[in-house]
Formats: sequence, C-alpha cells, structure tokens
Amino acid sequence: MNLQRLIKPLFSILVVLAVLTDGSGAPTSVIAKNGLTHSVLRVQSTNQAYDFFHPWVKKESVSRRGVGALLEGGRILVTAELIENSNLIELEKVDAPGKATATVELVDFDCNLAILRPDDPTFIEEMVPLRLESGLYSGDEATVVQLEPNGELAKTTGRITSVTIGGYPFVNLGLLVFKLSAPLQQRDWSFTLPVVRDGGLCGLVMRYDSRNQTSELIPPPVIAHFLKEVSSGTYRGFARLGVSFSPLRDPQLRQYLGLEGNGGIYVKKVAPDSAAAQAGLQKGDVILAINGKALDQDGNYEDPDFGKILFSHLTNTRMHPGDLCEVRVFRDHKPMTLSLRTEVPDEAKQPSKAHSGGKPPKYVVLGGLVFMELSRDYLREWGAAWRDKAPQRLVYFDTFQDEMPENRGTIVILSQVLPSPGTIGYEHLENLIVSRVNGREIKSLEDLVAAAETPGNGFQKVEFEEDPKMIYLDAQGILETSMGLMDQYGLPALQRL
Amino acid sequence: MLRFQILLMVVFAAGLQASHITESVVRIEGTSLEPNYKMPWNPGEVRSGAGTGFVISGNRIMTNAHVVSNARFLTVSKEGDPQPWIARVAHIAHDCDLALLEVERKGFFSGMLPLEFGGIPTIESIVSVYGYPIGGSRLSVTRGIVSRIDFQTYSHSGMDSHLAVQIDAAINPGNSGGPVMQAGKVVGVAFQGFRGDIAQNVGYMIPTPVVTRFLKDVEDGTYDRYVDLALTYESLFNPAMRKALGLEDDNCGVLVSSVYSTGSSEGLVEPGDVLLSIDGLKISSDGMIPIDANGPVPLTEVVERKFKGDKVELEVLRHGQKKTFSVPLHSPWPFTLQASAYDEKPRFVVFGGLVFQPVDWNFMEAHDPGNQRLNYLFDYFVKDELHKTVREPVVIGSILPDPVNSYAGEFLHAPVESINGEPIRSIEDVATAFAKPVDYHLISLLGDDRPIVLESKLVEKARPRILERYGVTSEQNLKK
Repeated sequence: MNLQRLIKPLFSILVVLAVLTDGSGAPTSVIAKNGLTHSVLRVQSTNQAYDFFHPWVKKESVSRRGVGALLEGGRILVTAELIENSNLIELEKVDAPGKATATVELVDFDCNLAILRPDDPTFIEEMVPLRLESGLYSGDEATVVQLEPNGELAKTTGRITSVTIGGYPFVNLGLLVFKLSAPLQQRDWSFTLPVVRDGGLCGLVMRYDSRNQTSELIPPPVIAHFLKEVSSGTYRGFARLGVSFSPLRDPQLRQYLGLEGNGGIYVKKVAPDSAAAQAGLQKGDVILAINGKALDQDGNYEDPDFGKILFSHLTNTRMHPGDLCEVRVFRDHKPMTLSLRTEVPDEAKQPSKAHSGGKPPKYVVLGGLVFMELSRDYLREWGAAWRDKAPQRLVYFDTFQDEMPENRGTIVILSQVLPSPGTIGYEHLENLIVSRVNGREIKSLEDLVAAAETPGNGFQKVEFEEDPKMIYLDAQGILETSMGLMDQYGLPALQRL
Repeated sequence: MLRFQILLMVVFAAGLQASHITESVVRIEGTSLEPNYKMPWNPGEVRSGAGTGFVISGNRIMTNAHVVSNARFLTVSKEGDPQPWIARVAHIAHDCDLALLEVERKGFFSGMLPLEFGGIPTIESIVSVYGYPIGGSRLSVTRGIVSRIDFQTYSHSGMDSHLAVQIDAAINPGNSGGPVMQAGKVVGVAFQGFRGDIAQNVGYMIPTPVVTRFLKDVEDGTYDRYVDLALTYESLFNPAMRKALGLEDDNCGVLVSSVYSTGSSEGLVEPGDVLLSIDGLKISSDGMIPIDANGPVPLTEVVERKFKGDKVELEVLRHGQKKTFSVPLHSPWPFTLQASAYDEKPRFVVFGGLVFQPVDWNFMEAHDPGNQRLNYLFDYFVKDELHKTVREPVVIGSILPDPVNSYAGEFLHAPVESINGEPIRSIEDVATAFAKPVDYHLISLLGDDRPIVLESKLVEKARPRILERYGVTSEQNLKK
C-alpha cells in the first residue's frame, strides 16, 4: 500500500517543470522529426471542478497539459483525467503555430480514456493518424513520447516489466495495467503521454513513479476495447460480472465446502440487480470456471496473451457488454453452470455515486436548507483522509451501500444551512440523511422537489434519519425570502437537477 | 470519543511522606491492577497513584472514583501521622466519579472532625481547594472563584454528564477527591481539569447536589447508578416550527426527537411530542428549567436528583392535546457499553488462536480498530438501536498466529454474526456455540466476508501448542 503513495500523478511534477525546462538545456536524446510529429498534438485543458460544499460554484481552474494521439477518423485519444471538468480544450500542432479548440466526443472514466475532436476538422487535415499496435507483452520494448519546448520529440524507450490488474484513477474495475520501466525527464505537456512501438500507439501513460522510474500505462487491450465500443456507434463501455470474491486458499474452508483440486474462488457478495444476481449467482457459491477457463484459488485464469491474470480481464475487457458468459459454479457440493450476459450497471441506481463524471452536482436550496445527493465526490471534499474525517454515518452508507434495500434509491442529505430568518434554530444542522418531505419518501432530489410542491397546512416538513427527526419551514416564507437568499449568498439558482 | 479532560490523580513512583495536615483531609495512596484488553488472560499492569480524600459523617472518607478504581491495595494517611492506614472501598460510583472508603482498623478517625456539606456556591464567590497535588508532599491549599455552573461530561466514564462547577483555583494532579471549601463547608469535590496546553485556570468540582445524591443512593447498601429519561430533544426556536406544532410564541417547550427503547420513557413519550414541563417546572424553548436560585439548568437536572424507581411527571403536547405522564425511572443498559468500565475483568474466549471479545469502550480504547463496520457498531449502538438484536457486538479482537488459523489474518477486528449456525449476541454465545460437537466450526462474519472454517481435530491439536507458545493462562472468562 506504500506504493500507492509513491506514485504521483504526472500532474504533480508538471508544475515544477514549466519553470525548470523553459529555455534551459534539454537533457535527453532528441530525435529528429519523423512521422510521429504529424501524429501527436499538444492538448491543453482548462479544468474547473465543482465545489461540492458549495455546489453552485466552481473551484479555481487548473490547467492540465498533455500529448494526445491522433487516431483514424479524426479522433484524438487522451486520458479522461486530462480533461475532467474541462471548460476549454485547446490543441496545438507539434511543429506548426496556431491553436484550435476541441470538444470531448466521448469520455469513459471507468477506463480513464477520452476522445477529443477538433471543432474545425481542417485543423488536422494534414496529419497522419496512428494505428493501434496491439502486440505488446511483458518484456517488450516501448517508447514514451514527450515534447521539448521547441517542438522536438523526446523519446524514452523502456521495457514492459509487469502486466497486472491495477488501479485506475476513478473506479477500480479490474482492468489491465502495464508497467514500463523507463526514466522520464520532467517536461511540460506530460499529463498524458502516448507510448509507441513499431510506429503504432500501444498505450497512454497515466502515472509516473519517479522514485522507481516506472510508468503505469493504459495498455492496448483496454484501448482496443474502448475504441471498439466507440466505433460501434452506441457506446456501452466496460461490463462487469457484479460479484466480489475471496480467494480460496484456506484448506479448511476448501474441505468444508467439499472442493477438490486447487481452483475456485468464493463469492462473498453479488451486487443486487447485477447480471450475476439475475442469473442466480449467490453468496457462498464457488466459481470454478468462466467460459471454460478454469480459475485458480486466487481468481486467475490462463490468458493466451498474458498468462496468469485475474478473471476480470476476461469478463470486463475481453468480453463486451451483452456477451454470453458461462459461469461454472460449485454449490452445495455440486457443480452447476449458470449463464448470463454481462452488463454495465446503471449508476443512477447507486445510493451514493462513485464518480460524478464531471457532471455538475445537483442541489436544491429550500429556504436556506441546502439539499444534495450523497456521492463519493462530496465525501472527498474532506480531503485525502475523508474516510476518517467525513461524517462517519455518511462514510458508512457510502461504503456499505450494496447492503441497502434494493429500492433504497439515492441518499439525499441536508448538507448545510444558509442562515436566514426562516432557519432560526436550524443553523447547526448539517450532513443529515433526509427520509421524508411532507410525508413522502425521498429517493432522489427530484422526489424532494416534487414533495416540496405540496406543503401541508402551509408548512414544509422535512424528516431526517437522525436527530432532529423533523423540522418545519414556513412554505410561504420560503417563497418570499428566496430572492433575498439568492442575493445574500450569491446563488445563481435555487436548484440544479 | 475524544477526551481532552484529564483526571487529577497523580501517578508516582516512590513513596511519599505524610506530614502535618489539617484535620479532616487525608492523603490516599493506591495500587491498582489495570486490566489488559489486548491480552485479556493476563492479570494486567500494576500501577500506583495518589489522591486526596476527606472525612465525612459515619467514619467514611469521600474521594473520587478514579482515585480508587481497579484498586488492589489502598492506604490513607493523615498529616502528622507517619502511619499509613489500610483502607477499602465501601461504595464506588463510576458514573459520577465518587467513592467512599472505610478504614478497618479502629482509631483512625479519632480526633477527626467530619466535614459538612454546603450548597452550590454562587458565581464569583471565593472557594478554597484542599489536597495533595504535585509539587510537594504536604497539604496544599489554593484559592479561586466560582467561574461557571454548567453541565459537563465527567471524563472518568466519558459518557455521563452532570452538573459541575468550574473554578479558577489551581487544581493539579493529586487534588482529585479533595474538598473545595467555602465558609467552613464542603461545596464540592475537586475532580478534573484541562491539560495546561489546552486551557489555564480551569478546574472542575463535583457540586453538592451530585455528592448528596450519591450518599443517598448508597444508604440502602448498594449503588444503583443514575437514572435517565433516555430521550433526546431539540430546542424550539424556529417560529414556523412552533406554529406547525401548534405552540404559542411563548418560548416554551422542546421537541422530543428520539425515545430510546429499553429506556424509562419508552412506551410513554413519543418522538414528535413537545415537552412542556417536568415535575411542574416550565421548560423553556432551549430545554432549561429554573430549579435553584443559580439560574436555569437543563431539564434533566430534575431527573439527575432522582433515584431508581422514582417517578417524574412530564407534561407533553401531542397532536395539539396536552397529556401528562408519570415516568418511572431506571438506568438504560445500552449506554454503559459506550462508557469506560472499571473494576471489571475483560471477558473473552480463545478458540483456535482466535481471541473473541465483546465490544465496549475498554476494548475500543485498547485496540483502536480501523474496521469501519466495527466502528459503526460501536458508535451507533444506541442511536440506531443495534442493541435490539445484540446485547453486545462480539469481534475477533486478536489472532494468535498458528497453522490452524493461518488464513484468518484478514479478519482481525471483524464483527462476528454467527458461529456454527448460532447467532452471536454476547460473548457467552461464543462459548456456547463452540461447545457444539461438529467436525468443522463455521464462523460467519457480519457483512460480506467469507466464513472462517476451523476443523475440530486441528483445533484440538493446536490448543496446547497455542496456550503454551503465547502464555495463555486461561482460555475464557465470561464474568465481569
């Protein structure tokens, strides 16, 4: 786990670098212009995240700069991190002056990839798209492409040292990560860096660990899956089985379950509503094989390309949503086969969303009470140690949301109170889970808005799961004071849904 | 559970000499055995400490509970008398940090005048604190004024709040249990303060309503603890709220938010009721009542002065109708799980090298577990009424590594749901469930983990090995 701390996002070194490299000596090998010069672009994205504590405002903007790779069809591939919450994306050619704006055509935070398209298609007319080089394996050489300030390409070649299932910045879906061992210099425009081999694109650098001189790449299979989905016309993304598991190494547990041999994993949770749940997979089942590929006791199968690797590569990356998946299961001392079609879960059903995807947070201000939907982004406002610092009840509900009743809906909270004459006595209320408004159950902010339209006897009644169990507001007073409230606290609108 | 207040008991290494003293104040030296909640079979750590006490009527010495908690050997000495006298605890009340000591050998009290109790001193009046704080061995007297009279958390239990009086006289470690005097009478017992780096000249004393309540409670020979309404209430300042509840604009009444099951008010008071008066005293909209001449105090002060079995009259407004209840008072048990416990032995069951322990404040303090599910169980045990399903949560408190449990390491601090199909609602259930004759013991954990399976044969084989290697002198203790 220490490793996690060592790996800094490239972003952190970039800021220093702008100062370090401007005009001063360029240290590594600068290779003369070649075809690549016409296949990569500088991408600058000015990003502004929403302030989840004050959801009507944005935080200070930050600029992220990287190198994008031009692909067939005028698509420019970058990491999703580069353009998260972007206000403005500008492209620059490597060897020619002039800027062009670009728009995000598609972004998938699950795999940290995004496709950009220049608003003026003629901007890239003269350029040569890169093909995807898919044959990249452990031990192979690959080259990271960086840019010198003068537009020269700086190439650093290293070796792929490991192929694992690893962490992606937004969601942990069990996708492949390649590690490339190569000492990268601090250079500007390095937030996203293309990796090439034999003149084809074979990865994007998403993190660099300067201490171990190791880059983590989004590898060809993940990019290929993403691009195939993009080309299909209706993007579905990365599916998942919907189970969490435990390795089955303990011989006593294996004996108890009546398992012979060495393989199989223990299903400890089946996500409600998932394809696995619909197919009848249960907690306590042992998964022996998926699509005929036997799983070992840690959940690895023998992949034709990468050898022993976690089954999530098979179900999430190799297979596409809707593909048929045969799961060989051992239940009650008997083997059986279940078949299901993998699917991408509907995130709207999550009680607390894992990632906002750059969408503005929803909020409703009702007479000074600020209501929001609970989300991981909200909790993250407490900083890196949010699991300890954020209100524990909310952290608990976020962490164990899978255990809630299936129709729980989204958790709506009273995040804070903007003091006004109507909220006297309520100033101290914050981070309370809303259960009902005017007697109606609340499963989304939309529910809350609808419920607030029918006050009882002239009062808005809000009920919470914790103390104080209920409060009342004067419905007429809310209407009369709302303009003043907007003015006082600088609210652009009383709600955003 | 941040406790920033410190208890004023001095812990010292070598013996100190008694010297000449005023007549009724005594120095208390104690040796205690602090139980070990990490290796609960161990007897614990021997510690020495000293505090102050004073003689009251009936040949008794009053002091703080924290001066004599977990005591194994106690002596008291008078100034000018070199001889330590062996004492023992007659009564101890951890929820209000008071204790009474007796001296067995005759003659100790001869010539000593029992001190008498006064009332609550007024703000700004001068008081003197007597005791044996650090900085010397003889009796010390400091002086100050009464700064504030308010409810405070008593940090000895960490859970209970009672009336406390803040004074600005210097109170230091060793002052604990000493009398605070005004006009020749005891007006309080010095008991806690802040560390010097947090606040200065802030010391607290237990005022006489709390002290006399304790003395009255033990009159029948046993201490019954404080009683509680076991409900929460909210202030009623908001005009819309008052109107909606049908209240007049008279600054009266508070809204009941939660009524805890197993508590005194259960079945009588309901969430949503407005409390109007308690024993005939009108409740203001911030929950205060005029009980003494000293200004308003929280409405619970009425209950604070009552005893187990006493009744309290509550007048409430429910759906616009006034109702009156006579609430019989008792102490709700779930709360004690979250309070520091003393004079108890840790309870545990060792099985297959897994140490099962009940979750309470002492366990949490010793282990400081990072398990989110466990922290929730502890923090919300009362609030979410988890006690309705379990009397106490049980967890795997520690693991004594052995081949029999070599794959169970990941389950440290995991709460246990059932063992061999039996739901686990207390530590006794663990012992009972493992006594079942089975080939494989199945331990299911709360939430979504895989079960732990221990083969009976292997457990039996490992048993002497584990006890021997880890010096486990006893495999279980189920009694407090």
